[in-house]
Amino acid sequence: MADEKGRFPDPHEYQVPPELEGWEEMYPSHYLFSDDRKEWEGSQFWYLDKIHAPEPMPPLDQIFQEAWQISLSQYTTRVFCIPPAQGIAQRMVGCYMYICAIAPPPEQIIGEKAALFEKRVFYVFEHYEELWGKWLTKFKALGNEMAAVEVPKELPKFAPEDQVLPAPRGFYASYDLMTAFDKLANLMIKGWQYHFEMLNLTYLAYLMFGDVTRKLFPGISESAIGKMVAGAYVSMFKPEEELCRLARAARTSYTVSEVLKKEAPAQDKISELEKTSEGKNWLQEFEKSKDPWFYVSCGSGWFHHEGSWLTNLNIPFSYIKDYVERLERGETIERALDEIDKQRDEIVAEYRNLIKTDDDRKAFDDAYKTIRTIYRYAEDHLFWVEHWLHTIWFSKIRQLGNVLVDNGMIDQPDDIFMFTRYEVPELLTEVATAWALGVDIPVRGSYYKAKAKKRRKILEAAAKWNPTPALGVPPEEVAEPFTIMLWGVTTDRVKEWLEGMGEVKAEDVSQVKGFASSAGVAEGPARVLRMLKDIIDLKPGEVLVCPSTNPSWAPVFTKIKAAVTDIGGLTSHAAIVCREYGVPSVTGAGIATSVIKTGDIVRVDGDTGVVTIVKRA
Amino acid sequence: MELILNFDSADKASLPQVGGKNASLGEMIKAGIRVPPGFAVTTASYQSFIAETGIENAIFALLSDLDVDDVDALNRVSAGIQELMNTAAMPERVHQGILDGYAELCRMCGTEKVPVAVRSSATAEDLPTASFAGQQDTYLWVLGAEQVVDSAKRCWASLFTPRAISYRVKNDFPHEKVLISVGVQKMVHAKAAGVMFTLNPTNGDPSKVVIEGSWGLGETVVSGSVTPDKFVVDKVIMEVSEKTVSRKHIECVYNAEKGGVVDADVVPDRQTSCCLDDREVMDLVQLAKRIEEHYGRPMDIEWAIDEDIPFPENVFIVQARPETVWSRKRKESVIGKKSGYQLLMEQAMKRIKIS
Repeated sequence: MADEKGRFPDPHEYQVPPELEGWEEMYPSHYLFSDDRKEWEGSQFWYLDKIHAPEPMPPLDQIFQEAWQISLSQYTTRVFCIPPAQGIAQRMVGCYMYICAIAPPPEQIIGEKAALFEKRVFYVFEHYEELWGKWLTKFKALGNEMAAVEVPKELPKFAPEDQVLPAPRGFYASYDLMTAFDKLANLMIKGWQYHFEMLNLTYLAYLMFGDVTRKLFPGISESAIGKMVAGAYVSMFKPEEELCRLARAARTSYTVSEVLKKEAPAQDKISELEKTSEGKNWLQEFEKSKDPWFYVSCGSGWFHHEGSWLTNLNIPFSYIKDYVERLERGETIERALDEIDKQRDEIVAEYRNLIKTDDDRKAFDDAYKTIRTIYRYAEDHLFWVEHWLHTIWFSKIRQLGNVLVDNGMIDQPDDIFMFTRYEVPELLTEVATAWALGVDIPVRGSYYKAKAKKRRKILEAAAKWNPTPALGVPPEEVAEPFTIMLWGVTTDRVKEWLEGMGEVKAEDVSQVKGFASSAGVAEGPARVLRMLKDIIDLKPGEVLVCPSTNPSWAPVFTKIKAAVTDIGGLTSHAAIVCREYGVPSVTGAGIATSVIKTGDIVRVDGDTGVVTIVKRA
Repeated sequence: MELILNFDSADKASLPQVGGKNASLGEMIKAGIRVPPGFAVTTASYQSFIAETGIENAIFALLSDLDVDDVDALNRVSAGIQELMNTAAMPERVHQGILDGYAELCRMCGTEKVPVAVRSSATAEDLPTASFAGQQDTYLWVLGAEQVVDSAKRCWASLFTPRAISYRVKNDFPHEKVLISVGVQKMVHAKAAGVMFTLNPTNGDPSKVVIEGSWGLGETVVSGSVTPDKFVVDKVIMEVSEKTVSRKHIECVYNAEKGGVVDADVVPDRQTSCCLDDREVMDLVQLAKRIEEHYGRPMDIEWAIDEDIPFPENVFIVQARPETVWSRKRKESVIGKKSGYQLLMEQAMKRIKIS
């Protein structure tokens, strides 16, 4: 993979498989390695971003990446000014995203930034509670604004009377259609500007606290640090709490619980519930929970095809079924949140007791207070941005997809995701133009349909390809906090990449490594689930292997022996829930879902972070 | 003063009579830690021995003016003292005291001849600032009353090996001040045994318990004749952060034919299997935490797992002494007087070297 000088392939010479021919046009042109930036690009270090882009990138889903490149970077470089750090640049290579933490700026800039950092950052820590309240208010307003963007269901044969008389409105369906997308896209970009408002500082504080504890306890594990920092009362766990609440509400009525316990699609259950007053009451409660708490992606929130609870009501209904049954058996379904918080406080107190000097104890207390002040942000923003806002976005975009289908531009609503955010306006404009021109005006539907089809093929081909873990020259140092915390880019990691992990065939790998995120060892047959909707296949006693989990997966954890995820650290959802249920887990194992096949017997060692394939299926 | 003292009657306060090791065993019994039963032959017994037999003056006369750097002289003096002690007859009441103590132990264990470990327990040994560890003798699997008496006497004599004499002189410990007691403790029929520390001896991390263990009695681990299995466990979240299973080719076990312990070969399959299961590891960590808490300082502990008794009654602590290496260091602050914001600023300025 790398040459003898410890270099990865030159990004300008790296070849993608021929089946991917045409991939370049699926992304904005500034995302491609280009000759006019050759010198700069060639001297940077680019690594595959498996966190945000673990799979080939559908063109419209790229908008989130574009948004975070700008937002994350500007907070570091221009807003809160982390002195030696610069932004993270992105490039696309054969449908995969590579990112690069840019080298530190000149010393003079570092000095200027340090002064601003002190002033601005310490203020945020001192006023966090107040700032969080403001953040949430403006974020909810933003989401509501997005939800309120009107997408014309159909283009009317003639402008409706009330738009013309008594005074002409002046602009009509053509304008509404074209601007709907622009509004949605702008709001999404804005949401992502908000996303990082306090996140860079959160990660910085986390790294600082980790450093302090490692100085005091040289061998302390990441999971111990995670346990000290993580909280129980976070928005991300709210959806599950709402399910519990609804299950309890159902138990007050025999008829309601009987309906909910049925093996039937959610839609049938809803129809049946609507027939009785008790059922109607329960549905009202369900509606109360739904917005915002069931605006939960079935995946990470980064891809349109993951779906959400909202688009697949069978998921929340199947969980409710499970909870109702457990309540009937006299089990407790709620997570003991107070208990979780209490345990965390006990753990912190116990480590603190081990500290030898007063100065160190004081520094530890101060460092802990700093991270605890802000850490909730890491957990809370995730629900509001990646889940709530993205779910609203996907549903709005699908409305536009429907309009395009109705007007013969694409075959299915989701084909809209095969076009970039710069191309979608072109499609919409063509529809608006044809409508304006009159009746029986042809559009170039076949052109776009063929394009969507070709792009789906390229994405399929890319999914089978295993791209190089990195490109370019490894840097001497990294200062950018996300690079260290999220992607764990360290000397060891780079070495691992250099050893050419990427070239090994999946079937030759018998072991994968990740974070030892929940203690214990368990062995059992693997169940590889790429999508939450496949969850019906999971059998009790299996080892769950998946890209990542989120609260929409929560009820699964009572059934499984162990969990392995490709993505996620020690405070990821899977890690937290596994620790709670005492289920061993290894998270952030990178290639688990591509290496492990359903039915393989795997041993998950949650103490060492090693997953061993004991026997191939 | 008593000539023998049951472990469960000993504690810190009895250190001058029973020595560090025995006092420590008494302390642990008081703290509710499972320790194999036994008794101490007190320093009064030893004093009575050297005084009543009249060898005391002869011993100290030999030691005065000795140049410990003169190896020949040192060996000669040591041999002379050993000779004096071996030939002197034990005072009857001391002799009877040991016989009574052993008989009581046998009665307690419900057996006619209980195998015991006989160990010296010096009054200066095991003090945090003077590691005399290993300077005195240990006799394993001693069977029968007279054998116990004989081993006790040999323990006394071990106070005057050339090494022990030289060590005291070099560390300015007056010979007259170092008294010796002997511990007589029921042997654990050890499936596995070893040592553990309530901090990580490699980096001083106080949040870890480090366990080293091997098959059979712990002597192979203590002496370094096998590479033991090693576990590093976080005390607070009870997570195993490191587990190394080594090839343990020999084990120290009792051999009836030879009438003592021997280093026996371990069958290949067993060499590389782990000598402790998970719950045994966790139980040991819990014990280590309790012992450290009881003493209020990092400890160095010997443990053994009995193969005849079911878990958890089979986990025994056979010895605990203060850890000396890291306890002496690390008095100063690691981080310094720094506020959360100062620490944050430092972090913000940091660059991580990666090549």
